[in-house]
Amino acid sequence: MVNMKLCALALAALLGALPAFAASTTTAKGRGYGNPSAPLLIELYSDLECPACKVFHEKFLPQLMREYVDTGKVYLMDYIMSNHAHSVEASGYAFAAARIGKYNEVANALFFRQPEWSANGKVWDVVAAVLSPAEQAKVKALAKDPGVIAQIKAENDLGRTKIERTPTMLVLRGMKQYHFEGSPPWDIFSGFLNELLAKQ
Amino acid sequence: MNFSPSNKNWARVALALRIVLGMIFVYAAYLKLHESWRLFAMSIDSYQIVHSVFLETWIAKTLPWLELALGLWLIAGFWLRGSATITALLLSGFFGLMIWAHFKGLEIDCGCFGPGEKISWITMLRDGSLLAGALALAAWSYFGNRRARHSQPGEVAV
Repeated sequence: MVNMKLCALALAALLGALPAFAASTTTAKGRGYGNPSAPLLIELYSDLECPACKVFHEKFLPQLMREYVDTGKVYLMDYIMSNHAHSVEASGYAFAAARIGKYNEVANALFFRQPEWSANGKVWDVVAAVLSPAEQAKVKALAKDPGVIAQIKAENDLGRTKIERTPTMLVLRGMKQYHFEGSPPWDIFSGFLNELLAKQ
Repeated sequence: MNFSPSNKNWARVALALRIVLGMIFVYAAYLKLHESWRLFAMSIDSYQIVHSVFLETWIAKTLPWLELALGLWLIAGFWLRGSATITALLLSGFFGLMIWAHFKGLEIDCGCFGPGEKISWITMLRDGSLLAGALALAAWSYFGNRRARHSQPGEVAV
C-alpha cells in the first residue's frame, strides 16, 4: 500500500514536471498553445500510441514549448491521430478529459505510460490514475459522447490529408509550409525557426 | 560496348549526357541553396548515418556548392575524365544511400532536390538512371574518346 502511494506520488510529481503541455485552448479541431497571433504557426500531428511520438513529447516538445511557445514566438496547434490498436480509445479519453480541463494531465500520463497500456490494452487504468472519482465518471461518460467521437474522426481525417506518419510538424509562415517528421536535431531545428523569425 | 572514337553517335550521346547531367546537378544545387541549409541538414540527419551535428552542418553547407561546381564543370566539358568520374562516384554514393534507406524501411525525404520528396521506386529509378548515365560517360571518357583519353586538366574533351 505504501509502495503504491509512493508510486502514485512519484508519478504525479513526474507528470507535473512534464512541460509538454502548458495552458491550452481547445477548439472543435485540435488544441492551441501559446499566442494565436505569434509570427509562426506549428501544426503538430501525433498519435498517443506511437513510440516515436512518446520520444517527441518527452524530449523535443518540452524544449519547443519552453523556448518558442511560452515566449510567444510560435503558436502550436496539437492534433491527435488514431492509427494504432488502442489509439481510438486513448484519444477518446484524452478528448473527453479536454472537456473538463484535464487534457494535459491525461495526455501526459498516456505518453508517459504508453508502453504499459499499449501492451496490455488497459488504457482506462492509466487515465483513471490522474483523475478524481468524480472526474473519472465524467470522462467515462464524455468518451461516448457523439461530439468526442466526431472529434476523433475530424482530427484523424485532417491529419490524413496533411501527413504520412506521426509525429509530424508542419511549420507555417505565410504561404510557405515546411514539413518535419520525427524529432529533428534540436540545434538545427531551432536555428531554422530563428531564421524564419528573423525574416518577419 | 564499342566506344570507338570513330563512332560519332557515341560522341553525341556523351555530349547529351554531360549537358543533361550538368543541368540536373546545377538545378539540384539551386534548389538546396535557395532554401536554408538547415533544411538540407535535417534531411541528412533523417538518414541516420551521420551522428554528428557538426558533420551534418558541414555536409549541408558544402555539398550543394560541390553539386553546382560539378554541374558547371560537366557543362563546360574540360577534363571530362575528372568530372565524369567524380559525378559517377557521387551518384553511386547517393544511390547506395537511397537503396540502404529504402530497405531499412526509413520513410524519409530523399533530399535530392530540396525538401519534400520521399524515397520511392521513382526516386530510385531516377537516381539509378542518372548513375547509369554517369558511368557510361565516365567509361566513354576513359575508353572511347581519343581526345578525352589524352586530355589534361584544362582541356575540353567533347
